[in-house]
Amino acid sequence: MRRDWKFYSQLGLTVLLCLFIVIPVGMSALAGVTVNVFKGLSSGLTLRWIIEVWDLYASSIMLSLWIALVCLAVTLVAGVPLAYVLVRRPGRLTRLFEELLTLPVAIPGLALALALLITYGGVSGYRSSWLFILTGHVLFTLPFMVRSVAAVMSAMDMKMLEEGAASLGAGFWRRFFTVIVPNAKPGILAGALMVVTLSIGEFNLTWMLHTPLTKTLPVGLADAYASMRLEIGSAYTLIFFILIMPLLIAMQALADRGKRASKRIDTAEDTL
Amino acid sequence: MSTQIRLRDCAKTFGDGTRALAPFDLTIEGGETIVLLGPSGCGKTTILRMIAGLEFPDKGGVITFDGDDVTHQSIEKRRVGMVFQSYALFPNMTVAQNVAYGLKVHGVSREESDARVKDMLEMMHIEMLADRRIDQLSGGQRQRVALARAIAVQPRVLLLDEPLTALDAKLRVRLRTEINALLRKLGITAVYVTHDQEEAMALGDRIVVMQKGEIAQIGTPREIYRKPQNPFVADFVGAANRLDGQMRDGRLHIGTHVFDAVDAFDPRHGAIIDQGPVELFFRADGLSTCDAARAHVTGRVEAVSYLGERLRLTVSGIGAQAVIVDTHADDVIAPGADVHCQINPDRLTVFPVGAGAGNSAANQSAHAVS
Ligand SMILES: Nc1ncnc2c1ncn2[C@@H]1O[C@H](COP(=O)(O)OP(=O)(O)OP(=O)(O)O)[C@@H](O)[C@H]1O
Ligand SMILES: [Mg+2]
Repeated sequence: MRRDWKFYSQLGLTVLLCLFIVIPVGMSALAGVTVNVFKGLSSGLTLRWIIEVWDLYASSIMLSLWIALVCLAVTLVAGVPLAYVLVRRPGRLTRLFEELLTLPVAIPGLALALALLITYGGVSGYRSSWLFILTGHVLFTLPFMVRSVAAVMSAMDMKMLEEGAASLGAGFWRRFFTVIVPNAKPGILAGALMVVTLSIGEFNLTWMLHTPLTKTLPVGLADAYASMRLEIGSAYTLIFFILIMPLLIAMQALADRGKRASKRIDTAEDTL
Repeated sequence: MSTQIRLRDCAKTFGDGTRALAPFDLTIEGGETIVLLGPSGCGKTTILRMIAGLEFPDKGGVITFDGDDVTHQSIEKRRVGMVFQSYALFPNMTVAQNVAYGLKVHGVSREESDARVKDMLEMMHIEMLADRRIDQLSGGQRQRVALARAIAVQPRVLLLDEPLTALDAKLRVRLRTEINALLRKLGITAVYVTHDQEEAMALGDRIVVMQKGEIAQIGTPREIYRKPQNPFVADFVGAANRLDGQMRDGRLHIGTHVFDAVDAFDPRHGAIIDQGPVELFFRADGLSTCDAARAHVTGRVEAVSYLGERLRLTVSGIGAQAVIVDTHADDVIAPGADVHCQINPDRLTVFPVGAGAGNSAANQSAHAVS
């Protein structure tokens, strides 16, 4: 195939757009390891800022990871069965529930946080603990988990699979864990990555819910930008990237694998 | 040793008010293969699912396996093997794991399970596929795995819902023959659902012909084929040719010709009638071509199709609608020609005019009273 000017002009445009997005990211990352941003690269490279960020904000970063993991656990335990019920028993009630579940996505994080504050703000032990932020994160991420799992579940004819398993003597829980869950795995994995990524990166809601003692990674980032030198903020961004990039890449890889699997056409010949 | 299944007074009304089945009784003897045959939507699958324990009959219905009341037992407890049209194999497991699933559920030991799985795969000629994933199998292979999986747990009854419909014609015939041999070998009670008359004939010890949620006839393939009890069954099993006639004093009059020894069965009264207008149903062999001198009826050839071993004619002017007549493959006949036919009275099925929907109407009113 000969590539004409159309191809090259499109390629050029794409590259340009990518650069437009990538350059600031690169600049920011670079700033995080530059001795003095205002003097530029000539001032030399250093890991000093990164170490400083770690000293200052390690607890925020660890708290973020911890909350993300617990949030994942909660959304798994609640979301997978929820998705199952939504797909398996479609009805007016489940429909309504599905709508309700998407509300936290549609409502601005600030409003959701405000609602939580009004309702539980007075419960002092709860208000000041990381569990308060967890609540917000679970509310915010649960719909993503449920959607992701439900999408895979509705594509796999669960009723038929369950009836097959039941005819072989398998009771409900056995069917659920040996047939439903393994076959919903792509959706569960995708949902899990999404939940962790969203939880680690969540700012709006968390900013409203946090206390000085319960700061998460992005809240700390805002804090660093607002009150520290630019290099520290940039070094912080770099750490954030290093944490979140593998998750994003894994998510992409998972989506690709799912696409390939569904595209694989039955090539087995019918010799039998 | 094989399980007898009895359904008594079983009706099925779905939650949305759909009356899928009128109350019926059915006894399936141990070791027997029963085929449920009928057009789409007549309730075949519903009966099968009631036997399986996936649907429950309306109040009053009773299902027994060898006399044990299983009406309220769930499918997990009933020990039924099921084979679905779309296989329902577990995509997360290999072929061998699929077959072993039921054994594991029943707590069969590892060694015994391995041995049993191996036997099953050999029996279905798929031992070389043991470690394949389900999405790497062809349709025919999948159906073999589904069968192996269902019989591995030695179920009391085997239930098959149109297991071959998704396969191409040649494979269908081949697998049908194998399933037939398998069922005989296992001696298991089996219920087989299909809408394919040929499949029903080939597999069934008895066939249950269904029409709109009711049993239209139960009988051996021979009875169903030769002695359909009502026009619906006659038509459904291929006797689609129709002629009008008159019964007078027990003898059949067609035009000016009179035939002896033909029974006109009235399904509405369950009796033979000997007076009145009748409809005659028959297949292509109800008429045979002959020379003009011996002809009972004469028509015009509308279309000719060559079937290899015979020539199939579509003939108008004999009945109200065109009829199908077969003749020798070597005959040279063109559309537009006259064709002379003899009637073979022993190939006719005779019903009084109006018996068409009569059977089901009679059943319905009987049930409404009870
Ligand atoms: N879950 C259900 N809810 C409501 N109606 C149903 C349900 N299942 C089946 N029906 C109805 O009951 C009737 C019988 O259905 P059934 O599936 O038994 O037919 P079938 O003979 O197996 O047809 P097919 O050859 O198309 O599979 C149909 O009218 C169908 O629409
Ligand atoms: Mg059906």
